[in-house]
Amino acid sequence: MVNDNDPTQGTPPTNADMELSADTMGEVKRISYAGLICRRFFRSRSALVGLAIFAALVLLALFGPLICRFDYAEPDFTAIGLPPGPEHWFGTDGGGFDLFACVVHGLGRSLIIGVSYSVLTTVIAALVGVGIAYARGWVERVGMWIIDMLMVIPSFLLVALFVRSASGQDGWLALIFGLTLFGWIGYARTLRTMTLSLRERDYVRAAKYMGVSPLAIIVRHLIPNLGSILIIDTVLGVIGGINSETAFSFLGLGIKLPDTSLGYLLSQASSVMITMPWMLVFPSVALIVLCVSMQLIGDGLRDAFDPYSRAAGSAEPAEIEEEAEL
Amino acid sequence: MTSYMKYVVKRVANYVVMIFIATSLTYLLAASFLNARSNYESRTPRPPQASIEQSLDAANLNDKTPLWERYTRWLGGVVQGDWGVSPTGRPVASELAGRIGNSVKLLAISAVLSVVIGVSLGVYTAQRQYMWQDRALSGMASFLLVVPTVVLAILIVFFAIDINNALPVKIFYVTGLSSYSGDNIFLAFLDFLQHITLPTLVLTIISAVGYHLNQRTYLLDEMHADYVRTARAKGLTKRQAIRKHALRASLIPTSVGVAFSIAGIFTGAVMTEKIFAVHGLGEYFINCINNNDVNGAVAVAAFSGVCTLAGALLADLFAVALDPRIRMS
Amino acid sequence: MTTVDTARRRASGDIDEILRYELLESNGPKGAPSGDPILTVRDLRVSFNTEAGVVRAVRGVNFDLWRGRTLAIVGESGSGKSVTALSVIGLLDDNARVSGSVRLAGEELVGKSDEDMSKMRGSRISMVFQDPLSALTPMFTIGDQIAEALRIHHPEMSADAVRSRCIELLGLVGITRPETRLSSFPHEFSGGMRQRVVIAIAIANDPDIIIADEPTTALDVTIQAQIMDVLKVAQRETGAAVVLITHDLGVVAGIADDVMVMYAGEAVERASVDTLYARPSHPYTMGLLGAVPQPHVNIDRRLVPIKGNPPSLAAIPAGCPFSPRCPMAHDACRAEVPSLRAIAPEEGHLVSCHEMERVRDGRLTYSDVYPGLETRPPSWARTPRSERPVVLEVTDLVKTFQTKEGGFWRRRHSTVTAVDHVSFSIHEGETLALVGESGSGKSTTLLQIMDLVVPEGGTIAVLGRDTRDLKSSAERRAVRRDLQIIFQDPMSSLDPRMPIYDVLAEPLRAQGWERSKINARIGELMRLVGINADYVDRFPTQFSGGQRQRIAIARALATNPRLLLLDEPIASLDVSIQAGIINLLEDLQAQLKLSYLFVAHDLAVIRHISDTVAVMHDGKIVEFGDTDEVFEHPRDPYTRALLSAIPIPDPPLERGRRRYVYRDGELVLADEGIPVA
Repeated sequence: MVNDNDPTQGTPPTNADMELSADTMGEVKRISYAGLICRRFFRSRSALVGLAIFAALVLLALFGPLICRFDYAEPDFTAIGLPPGPEHWFGTDGGGFDLFACVVHGLGRSLIIGVSYSVLTTVIAALVGVGIAYARGWVERVGMWIIDMLMVIPSFLLVALFVRSASGQDGWLALIFGLTLFGWIGYARTLRTMTLSLRERDYVRAAKYMGVSPLAIIVRHLIPNLGSILIIDTVLGVIGGINSETAFSFLGLGIKLPDTSLGYLLSQASSVMITMPWMLVFPSVALIVLCVSMQLIGDGLRDAFDPYSRAAGSAEPAEIEEEAEL
Repeated sequence: MTSYMKYVVKRVANYVVMIFIATSLTYLLAASFLNARSNYESRTPRPPQASIEQSLDAANLNDKTPLWERYTRWLGGVVQGDWGVSPTGRPVASELAGRIGNSVKLLAISAVLSVVIGVSLGVYTAQRQYMWQDRALSGMASFLLVVPTVVLAILIVFFAIDINNALPVKIFYVTGLSSYSGDNIFLAFLDFLQHITLPTLVLTIISAVGYHLNQRTYLLDEMHADYVRTARAKGLTKRQAIRKHALRASLIPTSVGVAFSIAGIFTGAVMTEKIFAVHGLGEYFINCINNNDVNGAVAVAAFSGVCTLAGALLADLFAVALDPRIRMS
Repeated sequence: MTTVDTARRRASGDIDEILRYELLESNGPKGAPSGDPILTVRDLRVSFNTEAGVVRAVRGVNFDLWRGRTLAIVGESGSGKSVTALSVIGLLDDNARVSGSVRLAGEELVGKSDEDMSKMRGSRISMVFQDPLSALTPMFTIGDQIAEALRIHHPEMSADAVRSRCIELLGLVGITRPETRLSSFPHEFSGGMRQRVVIAIAIANDPDIIIADEPTTALDVTIQAQIMDVLKVAQRETGAAVVLITHDLGVVAGIADDVMVMYAGEAVERASVDTLYARPSHPYTMGLLGAVPQPHVNIDRRLVPIKGNPPSLAAIPAGCPFSPRCPMAHDACRAEVPSLRAIAPEEGHLVSCHEMERVRDGRLTYSDVYPGLETRPPSWARTPRSERPVVLEVTDLVKTFQTKEGGFWRRRHSTVTAVDHVSFSIHEGETLALVGESGSGKSTTLLQIMDLVVPEGGTIAVLGRDTRDLKSSAERRAVRRDLQIIFQDPMSSLDPRMPIYDVLAEPLRAQGWERSKINARIGELMRLVGINADYVDRFPTQFSGGQRQRIAIARALATNPRLLLLDEPIASLDVSIQAGIINLLEDLQAQLKLSYLFVAHDLAVIRHISDTVAVMHDGKIVEFGDTDEVFEHPRDPYTRALLSAIPIPDPPLERGRRRYVYRDGELVLADEGIPVA
C-alpha cells in the first residue's frame, strides 16, 4: 500500500485506502450458506423427528428382510390369515404370506419409486423450465404451447398405458419410467414462471455482458438460485411419487404379483378389512408415517431456507434481516 | 364488447387446436398400447378366429389394421359426433352419458363444501398465525394433505363399517349411490344421503386441505402488503383492514384455483369412485384401461381435456372480473 | 452500566426544559413556536425480539410537535427514524416493545390497544408512506379509498357529502377533473398522482399531525418537488404539525422548521433548520452535509466520505455509536455515551457529542473534521479532452418497443420510440452524464450499447469498432473486455449464491484467463476498491450495500476495461456511503484513465462528477454540453424545469426559489402550491 491514512504528509489517501483502514469486519462469525441452512434445519425439532423417522424407515427397508424369517414371495401354508403374533409379527394374509415381509418389501418399493420419481422429474423440469425461460423468443413460446398441450392429456391414462404393458417383475421400473415421463410437465411450467423474474436479475445480465455462455449462466446462476425451491420440492415430490404408486397399484395398474407394494397390499386388504383388519392397518400406517416424515423434512428445509416462509406449522415468528449479514 | 369477444374467440380457437392435437396423441398412444384382441382370445370357449377379426373390425380395434387407418376412421366418426364403441360393442357415448350424472352429483357437492370449508379455515387460521388454533388446524391440514387418497378412503370406510356394526341401524353405505327403489321421495333422498356421505367426505377432505393451506398463504402474503398499512392508517383496526382490504386480494388466486379445479372433476375422483363403487367417469376410465377399450379411454381423456381448458378459460375470466389491474381500462 | 443509567436519568430529567428552551430560541423561518405542543414524545424506546437478538431500533428519543410547524427527522436506513414515526401512529409490528411516553394533546398513546389507536389514526394523526405504488389497494377505486377514510370517522356523513368532500380533496392535492377520477383504479395513476391521493386520504379528516415517511424517495426529481409543494398545501389547509422523515438533506432545507438528526436510534443533533445547515456541529451531521453535492455552485473539492457503515441495531457499539466512523473519536468516545446538550447558552441547538466544545470553540466545519478533500487531477488530464481518442461513439441510435397498452383484451399495439436518434461520443478519461427522469430512455440507451448488436437505427462504435463489424460471439467477447457495466442495485447485481472469489473470477474465466493469474488479479482488484482481500470466500449477503457496490465495481474492472457504463450506481445507497463510492470512482478514473458513461437522475451528483452532460427527455437528447455550462446557462426549457426542481441544501436559498414546470414544450412557473397532474 502506498500510503497510510495520514493526511499530513505525502499524497492524500485514495478512497480505497481509507476504506481498507476502516475495515471493521474482522471478527465476523464465519458461516457458509450451507452451514447456515444446516444450523437452522437442525434447530427445528419437527424436522429432526422427520429425519429420524425417515432414516429408520430406510434402515427397515434395507435390513428388514434380514431380520425376518419369511420371504415376501413365499407363502407359509401352515399360517393362513393369522393375526399378528410372535411368529408372524404383522400376521399373514389369506394366502399365508407374511405381512411383515410384504410391508418391508413394499416400503422399499415405495421409497425407491418415490425418490427416483422425484429426483428425475426435478432434473428434467429444471432443465426444461429454466432452459425455455432463458431462451426467450420463439423457443419459449413453442415450449410453453407444447407444455400446455401436454397438460391437457390426463397423465393418469398415459402412465397406466405404460405400466400395463410391463411384466410383474419389472413393473416398478415401468412405473418409475411412466410417472417420470409425464410427471415433469406441470413442474416445468412452474419453474419457468419462477425463472422469469430470475432472468431479469442484474447478475444474470452482468454475466451475459461479461461474455459468459448461456449454458454457464443457466448452470451457474439460474439453477443454483432456484436451488432452495428445487431441494424442497424434491423432498416433497417424494410424497407425490409414493401416492401415485399406491394409487396405481391399488387399481391393479401398477405393481402386481409376484412383486408386491404397499398399494397392492391395500388393494388386497380392502376386501378383507373387516375380517383381517391387520391387513389394512400395517400398510396404511407405513404409508402415513413415510409421507409425514418426508413432509416434516420438507417443511424443516423450507423454514431453514426461508425464515419468512408462511408454511403451516413453522416455528417462531422470525422477523430478522438475513442472519448472515454482518 | 367486440374486442372482448375477439379475445375469447382467439383463446377458444387456440384451445380447440390444443385439444385436437392432445386427443389425437392420446388416441395413437392408447391404440398402440391397448390390445383388445386379448379380450376375445381369452374368452372360453375361444371364439373362432374369423369372428374375432370381425368383432375387432367392427369396433375399429383390430391391431392388424394400420394405426393410421384406424386413426382416420376414428377421427371421421368423432367429427360426426360418434365416439366409437367398446370391445363389447356398446357405444361409448351412451356409456359416458349415463355416468356423467353420477360424477356431477358426487363432485358438485364436494366442490362446494371444500371451497367453503377450506377457504373459511384458511382465513381463520391466517388471522391467528402462530396461535394454537392455527397450529392445530393447519397442522391437521398438512397431515391430511400427504395421506394417500387410497389410505384415507379405506380408513374412512373401515371406521364407517365399525360405526354401522356398533349401531342397531345401518347409517352409511359404502358402495354405489342408491339402493332404494321405492317411490317415497323422502326415503329416496335419505338413501341418497346415506350413500353419498362417505365419498363426499373423502373428496371434500382432499380438496379442502388444499384450499385451506393456499388461502392461508395468500392471505398472509396480502396481510403484509403496504396497502393494508395504509388502510390501518386511515383508522381501521388491524382486523378490519385485513377483512376489508387484504381478504379481497387474497381471494383472487383462490377463485382462479377453483376455476382450474373444474379440470380435475372428471378424472380427479378416480380413486374415490373406484373405492366406493360409484359408477362415474373416473371408474369408467379405469375400466376402459383394464378392458383395452381404446375408444372409451380416449373419449374420457378428450372430455377431461375440454374440462381442463374450460377451467383455464374460466380462470382467466375470473381473474379479469376480480382484478381491475388486468381488466380493460 | 451505572454511568449510562445516570446519564440517561439526567438527560430525561432535564429534557423538558432543554426542549422548551431550544424552541423558544428557534431562529427558523417561522421563529419560535407558541402555545403548547400538540404532541410530546419523551424517552421513546422501541425494541424487537429477533433471531439475531434484541434490535433496539429507538433508544430514548424526545421531541415536541406544534401545529403548523414541520419537524424533519433525518437519518440513514437503520437510524430508527421510521420506527419512531410508526410508534407515534401505532402501526408497529406486533413483536415491538414500546416504552416511554407519546402524548397527543395530553393523552397518553403508548399502551393503547389497536382499537383505541384506530380512533386516533386518520382523524388526528395520519400518515403518508414511502412507496405510492403499493400504498393503495389495487382492487378499489380512488374514490372508494378516500371515502373510506371519511366514513370510518364520520359514519353519519351522507353519500353526497362524502362524494363532494372527495372531489374537494382531490382538487386540493392538484388532481384535475376530480369528478371523473373518483372511479379510476390506482394502477391507472402515475406514482406522483398516487402519492397525491395518499396525501388526500391523509388530510381527509383535518388531522393534527401528518407524518410523511420518505414521501418522495421513490419519485422523479420534478415529481418530488411537486409532492413537496402538495405537502405544504396540505399543511396550510389543515394547520397540522408535519413530521417529515427523510434521508435527503436537500429536501429538508425547503420545507422544515426544525430538524432532528438520528443515528443508531438516537437523536445526535437538533436545531432549527437554518442553524443546522449554517453550523452543523455533530461530526455525523457535518459528514452528511459534506457528502451531499452542491448542485448550485461549482466547487472543486471531493465529497466527504464517512468511512465504514451504519451499525447494526442488534449490536450497537459501546460509547458513542458514531465513534467507530468518527474522525474525531478518542478513547472516551468509545467508552462513554454522550447525551444531548445545548451547544451554547444563547442558542437553541442540541448536540450529543463529547467534542462539542472543541467544535464550537474552534468553529470546526467538515473540511476541518474530515481530511483529504482536495482534488488531485492526474497528469494525463493535462491533455484537453477533445484531443484524446474517442472510446465510444454513438450516432443516431434508435430503439423502439412494441407495447401492448390498455387492458387484458383490448390490446392496442403501438410503437414507442424509447431512444430517438441519440448521438454522443466519449473521449478517453472523460465522464459523460446521461440524465433524465424515468422513462426518458437513458437506461435503454445503456443496454443497447451493452448488447453489442447492430442497433435498429444508427451506429455504435466501441473503441473504433462498429458493432456492425462484430460477426461472431468471440469477437463480441473481445470487445466486452474493454466495455463493462455497473448496475444500480448491488443487491441484485451480485449472485447471492456465489462467493466473492467466483464473482470476481467470472469475467476473467469468460475471457479465458489462467487460474494462477486469476488469483493474483482478484487480490489486486479487492485492494483497488478498498475491500480486505481476505474476504474472498464470503458471500455477497455478508457485506453492506456500499461494500457490495465496491465488489461490483471490482468485477467490472477485472478485465481492465477502458470504458465503464454506470447505471445509477449510487441511487440505492445511503447518503454517507454514496460519497465514498463517488470518490472511489473518481480515484479509479485518475488511476486507470477510465472513461465513464454515467446514467443518473440526481443532478447534484452529475454536476459533481461529470465533464459533459446530455439531458434526455422522451428518448431524445434535448441538451448536450459542458457540465458547468449546462447547469449555469441551460437553454432547453425541459432542462431548466429539471434544474429548478433539484432541492438545494441551503435553507434560505431553497425557500426563496421559484420552480418551473415543463408542460407541452413550454416552461410554466409553478403556481404557489398547486401544480396540476
